[in-house]
Amino acid sequence: MTCEAVERDVDAYIDRELDPEADRLVRSHLTECPRCRSRVTERQALSRLVRAVPYHSAPDRLRAHVSGQTTRTITRHRLLTWAAAAAVIIAAGGAVALGRWATPRSDGTVQQVVDGHVRSLMGDHLFDVRSTDQHTVKPWFLGKLDFSPPVVDLASVGFPLVGARLDYLDGRPAAALVYQRRQHTINVFIAPASDTPSVSVKRRTLRGFNVDHWIRGGMSFWVVSDLNDGELREFARALGS
Amino acid sequence: MFDATVLPHLDAAFNYARWLTRNDSEAEDVVQDACVRALRYFSSLRDDDARAWFLAIVRNAWYSRVARHAKVMSMPLLDKPGESAADDALNPEGQLLQQAAVARVREALDQLPVDFREVIVLREIEGMSYKEIASVVRLPIGTVMSRLARGRERLLALLKSEAMVEALL
Repeated sequence: MTCEAVERDVDAYIDRELDPEADRLVRSHLTECPRCRSRVTERQALSRLVRAVPYHSAPDRLRAHVSGQTTRTITRHRLLTWAAAAAVIIAAGGAVALGRWATPRSDGTVQQVVDGHVRSLMGDHLFDVRSTDQHTVKPWFLGKLDFSPPVVDLASVGFPLVGARLDYLDGRPAAALVYQRRQHTINVFIAPASDTPSVSVKRRTLRGFNVDHWIRGGMSFWVVSDLNDGELREFARALGS
Repeated sequence: MFDATVLPHLDAAFNYARWLTRNDSEAEDVVQDACVRALRYFSSLRDDDARAWFLAIVRNAWYSRVARHAKVMSMPLLDKPGESAADDALNPEGQLLQQAAVARVREALDQLPVDFREVIVLREIEGMSYKEIASVVRLPIGTVMSRLARGRERLLALLKSEAMVEALL
């Protein structure tokens, strides 16, 4: 690969948007070209600086105003939706229309995982225990769960553990670990799956959230975040998917 | 359903609007306007990406405000020197290097033309993929890529004029 080609791809490279083959080519060029290497390092440093810029969170006043507003409007909206749905069911002969809406069970769990994630962010129940120390978090679950979830801090790879709480999944208690990447929160739900063989990682996307699921060592893992594709994959790998 | 879908992305909406408008109260107005629109178009949301969908609406809301204000419209969108540089009262001696550098980056980003600024914000601060950015700004992925590359180039050039920041790069 030439320096010109690397120059063209440098942004896609640091953004992890290259396909694996192109990525490999850039990587191998970088090992032998100090000039391109320093270009990459400079861009990465720039990324870090931009990411350190303070986030403009929505003011409370706006949040209050907007949720009030939508609740007021939605009541009317919902009535209309129901009226329309009722009309469809009547027209289609009821049972047929209803049958189409039934969702498979795994979709239900994805839905629960996303709902759990959203709940944890909207209310103030993100943590039962707030700690970046895995040796504090792990024992905290003792006596609260009938299994011991694996707890690792991933700060060294850029995903610090920030806390944990007790949550529910499919009607059973589950451990929820909370990690952070910039201003993005990552929830990890862990529950026992002792009778199930290992399943490699599967990705779903629901309402703008990425959800990764895998089973390993008799434990079922659900990872959910609004973090982008590449970085969440990196996180799942670090967690041992 | 609407609240559960849209409200989790309110911070992202405000952050994006704030970078587009460079002004707190205008950003609030844009987001409020976007919420009204989002509610109206809620049925057009496909299941997979509420954040990109909502941010695209924020962008439309901002854009129609800009279009309404003929004065603003007459300002070239693509090259607007920041007025913020003028009231730069930053005193490096009194501050940590990193803090000063971040403040400078924020300023430099504000000075970038909005076409470049928004893709950098969506990529770096919102952590969006090229595909997601493309769906927010309604442009082909190739254009997103080249705007990002040129935007970073310009940002680097702006920052490199300050030795202080160069030390951190």
